[in-house]
Amino acid sequence: MAGSGNQLDHQLTMAAKNKLMRDVLIEEVFRQAQRNRNILFMSADLGAQALDDFREKLPAQFVYPGICEQNMIDVAAGLAKSGKTVFTYAMASFITARCFEQLKCSLAAMQQPVTVISVGVGLGYDDAGPTHYTTEDIACMRTLSGIEIWTPSDEESTLEITRLCCERPALRYLRLERPALPAIYQGTFADNLEAGFCEISTGQDVCIVSSGYMLHRALQVQQELQKAGVDAGVVDLFRIKPLNSAALLATLNGYSKIVTLEEQVLAGGFGSAICEVLMDEDAQLPVLRLGLPDRYFFENGGRNHVLEKYGLGVPQLTERIREFVRKPVPFSDSDSLERSTVVAL
Amino acid sequence: MVAPAETDPRTSAGRASSQLDLDMSALIERSAWLRKELFRMVMRTKKGHIPSSFSCAEILIALFYGGILRYQKGRPSDPLRDRIIVSKGHAAMALYPILADLGFVPAAELENFTRKDCLLRMYADPSIPGIDSISGSLGHGLGIGAGMALAAKQDGRDQRAFVIVGDGECYEGSVWESAVFAGHQRLDNLVGIVDRNRMAIMGPTENLLQLGSLEDKFRSFGWETVSINGHSYREILDVLERIGETGGRPLAIIANTVKGKGISFMENKSEWHNRMPDAAHQEQAWRDLEINSITN
Repeated sequence: MAGSGNQLDHQLTMAAKNKLMRDVLIEEVFRQAQRNRNILFMSADLGAQALDDFREKLPAQFVYPGICEQNMIDVAAGLAKSGKTVFTYAMASFITARCFEQLKCSLAAMQQPVTVISVGVGLGYDDAGPTHYTTEDIACMRTLSGIEIWTPSDEESTLEITRLCCERPALRYLRLERPALPAIYQGTFADNLEAGFCEISTGQDVCIVSSGYMLHRALQVQQELQKAGVDAGVVDLFRIKPLNSAALLATLNGYSKIVTLEEQVLAGGFGSAICEVLMDEDAQLPVLRLGLPDRYFFENGGRNHVLEKYGLGVPQLTERIREFVRKPVPFSDSDSLERSTVVAL
Repeated sequence: MVAPAETDPRTSAGRASSQLDLDMSALIERSAWLRKELFRMVMRTKKGHIPSSFSCAEILIALFYGGILRYQKGRPSDPLRDRIIVSKGHAAMALYPILADLGFVPAAELENFTRKDCLLRMYADPSIPGIDSISGSLGHGLGIGAGMALAAKQDGRDQRAFVIVGDGECYEGSVWESAVFAGHQRLDNLVGIVDRNRMAIMGPTENLLQLGSLEDKFRSFGWETVSINGHSYREILDVLERIGETGGRPLAIIANTVKGKGISFMENKSEWHNRMPDAAHQEQAWRDLEINSITN
């Protein structure tokens, strides 16, 4: 069991030579800010290597709000209302729930095109505990009207989404990983940008829908399932809002069972959003939602340890999905009134 | 104040009307006019907050009719218009008669305040022409105004942002986050006016939870601070002349006011925050409003 977890750890270690998502993003914003004086970057005291360069070379376009997320968002609203293209940047848990009312009233209700960048979603801040773990940001942020929510999974997707934010400003929430992640896309992300999701690989038996850090885990699980004779497809749903319902449904309808995988509590998050679409569109597909249990985590041992302990290690996921695939479909009869079965941890 | 160039149609139009209104008696008459308009608005649908609006009436009139705010009548979307945010949302409605008078919103809309599907709502937001920020939740306006003032400075625009903050609003920590920010950024084109009526919904602020010297607090964060009688045009205009002469500091005006100013039974009575006068009280209110309590 430990083998597969270690394998993922190994992959992530290898990925350390890749650029951090935050550096990819800031370098691109810097590049565009050099020729567009209206682009401003605000950081609530969260640094990045690339940001040092930005601050030194474009001091007038870097605005320091202090460790002060509420005021950062209000100031960003005022700047955006005056025509500025503003990027606000902080640790994930502090730029979401901490300043939620500012996001709601000053950005969403006033429809201000600000990019809200969070770093270290999920359990990204290893060993930190519930103050830093951001296990409810999707549930929280997707209730904001008119906001787009994007989760890149590698350098390429981070770069393309950043370009979108610079070139077509809108109210967007970007969920960045803290560690560098291995490459998933090979020059193919831009073609999928508008769709909001990408079927990374196709399968026959079950489709695993995920994003960001957990997408990498989904790909590992897919390999393990293959060995066990289960043919799984993997979908990267990198834009959870707005959901491209019609196209997503068309893709998911190619499968008989759906698994959603997230590093969030299950209440109102990623899996919930997908279930809403399936229910609303009357798609009779069984869904297994996999995510964190309804609790806070005070544990040492690192991200993978916590995930394994609570059922989200690669071996456990493989087993849970195998079991789900084995179970008979409850409403194979098309006249059945039963709707999708949601199985939660 | 420096006279604007005659070639600038925006400022010259603003000044032309302001020169008439600078006459103190004209401003004093505006006080009676605004209070009556607001009282009528609220009485039509029995919705709105009279005492909060009345405590900042002179501040708003001085800004709009005392030659301080730069605007062009009938042109709410003028990008060079000075920004004004009534952050104490209960009093945002006090702007409506003024916006109608300036031709920013149709005058007929005053009749429809809070009526179904109509433009003028209890709290304001930018879908109403001339309103620069959402209000209703306290503690946001100063930060948003700071963003607007910073953008103007970055773009080299001679544009100011005026934010009316309630003293009760100053309990919100985000007000002080914004105060630190504006002080450090040296936003001398930002003016924060605290409507210091010393009254929250549950009673007098200093008894409930002492705010103490707001002057000292703002000053310690790098603001120029002045304490005035917020119902005296002479004092309000005197301090507003200092905008831009504060050595780079934002200007905080602690305007000492009376909640419910102008209606005898409402003055300093927290229970009238959201209470509607009955017929006898309305009669008394109209008698009070005929006697303008503003004298200078």
